[in-house]
Amino acid sequence: MIEDLCDKCEELMQPYLDRELSEEERLEAEGHLAGCGHCARRYRFEETLRQFVRRCCEESMPPELKAKLAALRTPLS
Amino acid sequence: MSETARESEPRRLASDARDRVRFEEEALELSDQVYRVARRLVSTREEAEELMQETYTRAFRSWRSFTPGTNMRAWLLRILTNLNIDRGRRKQRAPVEQPLEEGDYYLYNKLEHTSRDGNLDEERVLERLSQDEVVGALSAVPHDFRDAIVLVDIGDFTYADAAQILDIPIGTVMSRLHRGRRILKRELADRVEEE
Repeated sequence: MIEDLCDKCEELMQPYLDRELSEEERLEAEGHLAGCGHCARRYRFEETLRQFVRRCCEESMPPELKAKLAALRTPLS
Repeated sequence: MSETARESEPRRLASDARDRVRFEEEALELSDQVYRVARRLVSTREEAEELMQETYTRAFRSWRSFTPGTNMRAWLLRILTNLNIDRGRRKQRAPVEQPLEEGDYYLYNKLEHTSRDGNLDEERVLERLSQDEVVGALSAVPHDFRDAIVLVDIGDFTYADAAQILDIPIGTVMSRLHRGRRILKRELADRVEEE
């Protein structure tokens, strides 16, 4: 029974962290997470992982490119 | 009835020019955010820069087709992803090879197994991966899956926006995202193991 709930919770993890669950599903996930350390630790890990991946993959635009894009604007006549 | 019909031609042109300038300024303000996504949709910085210039050239040319009040960042990225596909920058899809994919908790379970006391300090464990390794792992995810991850996880787009940008149904975005993240975790796990 508990394993079924954990399986369901795993299914909800991605849309939960994407904030795409319905209110009902969100409450269902949170209700389970409040009492299940196994799932709570995995959700926390997934969230940390996403932030970490994002931090590693973000690269700022080179200033020269910004200038090039600005130069593409239609000249004012 | 219509007041615009009564407007003189010079007045109409001036108002048109103002709208265009406003559009161009707004699009430029979004360019940093658009670039962050573009950079991870292609392999190299040079490709990203080229794609950005093509995107802005097209956007400035067809500014009238943007509906004011709608999501301009999504509109720009729609142009960008279309150009990326049109220009054939994507490698031909490998016909047979299915990417390796494990469960959602694969990476967690793998790392937990290697931690001495079974207590996982997420931050510390992840710091074992270098930035290059993480970027490499994301690049190893096949295009279709990666596009969805990049739009949602780096671009912060909703499923609905990502569906519109990629011109695919929302259910397809969800399944690509789901599978793509599993593939990514598998790639990351392989790199942690090599440590």
